[in-house]
Amino acid sequence: MVVSFKRLACATALAGLALTTIAAAADIKIGIVAPMTGQLASEGQDMENAVKMAIDAVNAKGGVNGDKITITTADDACDPQQAVTAGSKLVSEGVTAIVGGYCSGAVLPTLKIYGDAGIPFVIIGANSTKLVAANQGNAFLANSTGDMQATTAVELFKKNGYKKFAFVDEGDAYSSDLAKLTAEAFKSAGGEIAAKETTTAGEQDYSAVVTKIKSSGADAVFWTAYHAGGALLTKQLRQAGFQGGIVLGDGNNSPEYLEIAGSAGEGVYLLSPPTVDLLSGAADFKAKYKETYGRDAGAYAALSHDVGDLIVDAITRAKSADQKAIIEALKASDFKGLAGEIKFTNKNTLQTSNFRPVIAKGGKWVAVE
Amino acid sequence: MTLDLLIQQLVNGLIVGSFYALIALGYSMVFGVIKLLNFAHGDIYMNGAFVGLIVFSFVGIWVGNGWLGVVCALLVSMLAVGLLGVIIERFAYRPMRNAPRLSILITALGASMVLNGTALALTGGRHYAFNTDLGFAGVDISTVHITYTQMVLVAASIALMAGMQAFVSRTMYGKAMRAVSIDMGASRLMGIDVDRVIALTFFMGSALAAGGGVMAGAYYGSVHFFMGFIMGLKAFTAAVIGGIGSVPGAMLGGLLLGLLEAFGSSLPFVGSEWRDVFVFGTLILFLVFKPTGLLGRSVVERV
Repeated sequence: MVVSFKRLACATALAGLALTTIAAAADIKIGIVAPMTGQLASEGQDMENAVKMAIDAVNAKGGVNGDKITITTADDACDPQQAVTAGSKLVSEGVTAIVGGYCSGAVLPTLKIYGDAGIPFVIIGANSTKLVAANQGNAFLANSTGDMQATTAVELFKKNGYKKFAFVDEGDAYSSDLAKLTAEAFKSAGGEIAAKETTTAGEQDYSAVVTKIKSSGADAVFWTAYHAGGALLTKQLRQAGFQGGIVLGDGNNSPEYLEIAGSAGEGVYLLSPPTVDLLSGAADFKAKYKETYGRDAGAYAALSHDVGDLIVDAITRAKSADQKAIIEALKASDFKGLAGEIKFTNKNTLQTSNFRPVIAKGGKWVAVE
Repeated sequence: MTLDLLIQQLVNGLIVGSFYALIALGYSMVFGVIKLLNFAHGDIYMNGAFVGLIVFSFVGIWVGNGWLGVVCALLVSMLAVGLLGVIIERFAYRPMRNAPRLSILITALGASMVLNGTALALTGGRHYAFNTDLGFAGVDISTVHITYTQMVLVAASIALMAGMQAFVSRTMYGKAMRAVSIDMGASRLMGIDVDRVIALTFFMGSALAAGGGVMAGAYYGSVHFFMGFIMGLKAFTAAVIGGIGSVPGAMLGGLLLGLLEAFGSSLPFVGSEWRDVFVFGTLILFLVFKPTGLLGRSVVERV
């Protein structure tokens, strides 16, 4: 009995404390939901750090609408079940808005929780098209959905003057979808499809496909699957004397690609998400991040920082911490950050793709200006 | 199909076919001698590639990344992985030799998983670059470009296979091997050291697979733990087409399968995604209608 009294006393005290903090400050509280443990903890840490950096800068300038912003982080561990717990925790803490979300699978079940509570939620990393369908109107996708890569790809094709494309995928859902979407977009933009080929994952010999591509008269190849096959295909295309352009989907964004493809990889294009190293205006951010947190800014740090600024921007324009007003303000966002422009469609997805083309030069990926 | 395309696909078929043939040979020899489908054979090929890569990077410090390095890697890997084959036979298959056929088949699957899992654990699933500076120089026949590397590769695998065929048909050990494959009991009564012959068979089969692995690694430029899986399945198909248990059959089956793949995927109205349907459809057709393959003899069940 003694123990349980003690526990009760503790609980009451804590509850009281919590109440007083909420009552005392008219602060605006922003929740961050990200994987802080598990395999993707490093990405989650980056997201938290970068958002914090943005908010600290705002607070240093006097906050938003005269209010300071506080941050509370919930760990979803990239796990759907834990994400639901983390989401409920944030809702019960009475946060004004939530940012974060790295794994689409973990974000999906939380959309209903935030939707029912009417909390504005800006998703930083997760980009499955399933999220778009499950959105109740309060969630915003700050990262390009997978299918937007097709748009960036076609822009690059046109810019480089490629007219006849061969599309090669690995037959899985992701790569065949990307090939299909891009082929459709390319066709409607006036391009010609020379060939559509499929390879088997784990296979090493692509010579039959390479021969077909060469004889199809394609002036460029778009490989939509992953880096291991991409490196082999690149090598074998060049070995067979294929002189045309080679473009790779975002699954090839790996140093292993460059190692294996070696000199054959020079001049190959890759469609990459907006990582810090590729953003021309992010040098200061990169240096400051390293100085503040003692580590390099990861792939999503720049975008996370932008989302931190974006939410402040929306609260400023809403002129209050009213969640409905913030959602309306987010819908009307016209924001330019480190990783690019953030404007939403009527489905709360990005209007313009934030994928960007990079080119392999001297064994490194370099931004294409 | 234009003539250029025909020649190009012929070249493609011959190259990939010579890999299939090298691996199929080991499958066939082991099956011929102890009637075991050695499912670990594809993983032996993968191990060969890894050992080759390690040796290549090591000797590369002194001899560079050219032909000499590849030959060193090839020889060391064939020897080392040949011994690995003997060890697997000694500890995984020999104790099961008199067990029902199904048990030893399951043991073979287990051996495959052990090799595969070990490679996964040691490499973390990474794809390793096998960067040689053999280059893409070669000769051009109209629009068809054939590199010197490709020529050497086909020649080397034909030489290895011819050597194997000569060994089996001309030497005393080869004769013993054939004797054991016909009747193990009678061979033992004739004074043949059956265990030794079987170990030798595993050594040679594994060495050939390792040779194939090193050549494939150096040619394609990449090595990873899963590379043996599809290769194992295709080599098995090649062995069945040629007639499992027959050495010339394995070579013929390998080359035919390579050509079938190359031409199958360039047929009009048939995309490359149908290639594996061709390959494994052929396997089923052979198993149903001609299980002895093109050059195999029928295996008489002993009672």
